[in-house]
Amino acid sequence: MTKWKKNLLVGAVVAGALAPWLTGVTEANEPGIIEFNPAEVSRILSHGPWPMNWSPDPSNRVSGSTHAVDLGERLFFDEKLSVKENVSCGTCHVAEYNWTDGVKRNQGQAMVDRNTPTLMNMRHHRWFALDGAADSLWAQSMRPIVDPRELASNATHVAQYVRKDADLSCRYEKTFGVSPAKQDDETVLVGVGKVMAAFQETLVTEFTPFDQFRDALARGDKAAAALYPRDAKRGLQIFVGKGNCSTCHTGPMFTNGEFHDVGVSHFIDGDSKKVDGGRHDGIKKLMASKFNLLGPYNDDTTRATAIKTTHVKPEHRNFGEFKVPSLRNVGYTGPYMHSGEMLTLDQVVRHYSDLNVDRLHADGESLLKPLKLTQRESADLVAFLQSLNMDRAPPWRGKEYANPPCVLNARAAADDTYAP
Amino acid sequence: MCGFREIILCGLMVLAPIARAADPLPIFDAHVHYSQEAWERMPPKEAIALLRKAGVTRALVSSTNDDGNQKLFAEAPDLILPSLRTYRTRSDMGTWFRDEGVATYLQERLKKYRYAAIGEFHVYGADVDAPVARLVVQLAKQYKLFLHAHTDVDGVERIFRQDPAARVLWAHSGFERPEKVREMLRKHKSLWSDLAFRNDHAASGKLDADWRAAFMEFPDRFMVGTDTYTAERWHYVVEHANWSRGWMTDLPRDVAERIAYKNGNAVFGSMLKP
Repeated sequence: MTKWKKNLLVGAVVAGALAPWLTGVTEANEPGIIEFNPAEVSRILSHGPWPMNWSPDPSNRVSGSTHAVDLGERLFFDEKLSVKENVSCGTCHVAEYNWTDGVKRNQGQAMVDRNTPTLMNMRHHRWFALDGAADSLWAQSMRPIVDPRELASNATHVAQYVRKDADLSCRYEKTFGVSPAKQDDETVLVGVGKVMAAFQETLVTEFTPFDQFRDALARGDKAAAALYPRDAKRGLQIFVGKGNCSTCHTGPMFTNGEFHDVGVSHFIDGDSKKVDGGRHDGIKKLMASKFNLLGPYNDDTTRATAIKTTHVKPEHRNFGEFKVPSLRNVGYTGPYMHSGEMLTLDQVVRHYSDLNVDRLHADGESLLKPLKLTQRESADLVAFLQSLNMDRAPPWRGKEYANPPCVLNARAAADDTYAP
Repeated sequence: MCGFREIILCGLMVLAPIARAADPLPIFDAHVHYSQEAWERMPPKEAIALLRKAGVTRALVSSTNDDGNQKLFAEAPDLILPSLRTYRTRSDMGTWFRDEGVATYLQERLKKYRYAAIGEFHVYGADVDAPVARLVVQLAKQYKLFLHAHTDVDGVERIFRQDPAARVLWAHSGFERPEKVREMLRKHKSLWSDLAFRNDHAASGKLDADWRAAFMEFPDRFMVGTDTYTAERWHYVVEHANWSRGWMTDLPRDVAERIAYKNGNAVFGSMLKP
């Protein structure tokens, strides 16, 4: 049988399986029942299942290690990594705020230019930071440490601190099998980035009301599907239909992981003399970084992880593009947009509803058109977005550890039992 | 033979062309917009300073509405070549070619101000034959202006059917492949191509082979352009000029100079002289 015939057959079987469900779901004569057509159903199903499968990052040899996760979490909340010992990664990435901070822009040693992105589900991303200036989570984890506006630290300070603190030094050796005293400063800084990445890889959002509905749809469970609120269903229909939202906010992560210009001003702080180049600047930073996946610190001997980086080149359209955010837990990640200029999801929806096409290139983001939503449609879209939230805000995490002091022993490697 | 002073003089004479070759290429920017948000955020003095900082020696500029253009021209008539856009507001973009109000607007502006071109306007295929689009082709003929057309191959053909003597600057080279651009340039002797908002001709300072062939076949018919379609993009003018200079080093110097600025000067240079 030829390949296309096989595809046709598979398609027919899938359509046949969905048909009874569709006629069952639609129940168009009943008031208030939301009708989803086959294309909509297909799009809805593409947003799951959740959680996604994951395997450790080959570019980070301690990805998935329990020792690395433990050390990474300690360092994540450790203000002593900053030169002034006053700021940690946890200053801006706060668990209860879905690992962001709830403010427009935050301040380390100085005010930064962009809104703090959430760390949730970072393990599923391809590019990191709003401009994609890093191609791995471990490389990204080092950038705020050395950014003068954030921790304002450097490799020497970080390495000396890890070496001098006996407990951290012990945990470092347990993780990497080598004492930080035997490594140069830069290698230790990279090690710190890698354990922090291992920690962040454990931050995953939970099952949501949308996932319950999506899975009910997948298995044809009408009773379970009926529990999903009607306004969220109407909003979902806009999301996968006339809103075209799911074209960029794709898949179980609700992001294509790429960069787009959605017509948001990228002057910094409204100052006409300062502009945020977004993805264009990010690519230049990425290519200039010795910590990118093309460099010597990539632990992936096959270099398959670096293929994406070899293909990236700055283009004119990248100027003013920012990363498409995941929408999981979006209700907990405001303010919104790269600069945090929109405080609520209502404002975000209004932005797309009244989109200013003057700000878009005629041959650029051709999908983007003003949605011209009614008040009810806007409210429905927000209701759908809120259904992407976990039922509870992420629980508190901080710098209190019950673990006993680190002891190096021969069983260290065998104790490393983390299973993703 | 050179004595001591002569040695120095001879040395300077030898070095002079090298120094000239190393100078950054001047840029004729054929695709600049200075629309309302830009002029509200960036007064003409600042905008002109940015162009000069980029080494832009002349620029074909249009704005929505045209008032911004006039402000900029008044600030630097040596640098700015105004082009009359067919939009009073951006919302005219998809409808202007059938809008009698636009026709009146254009005729009034042409009577009142001096221009080098009409455009950049967006129109595709059969819409080029719509009444106001036809009028624009006729107005360009009447006032001896260029047409800066953001259009497809069919659109270019229709313009030349309306006026075989029209002079057309093809915005973005129609986003066509270089083979098609060459075909069009061969066919139409008064068609020029701008390279604005395109990256496919060069990456990392190296030219694409097909585009190189196009530039070598038609060294007199290409120009570069930044396309400042938002106010923020004015801060990209310097970056764009440097990027252009980068890939032009992969061309013979004389071809690079023509694409960088000489073509623009040759085509538009005599227009709007005081």
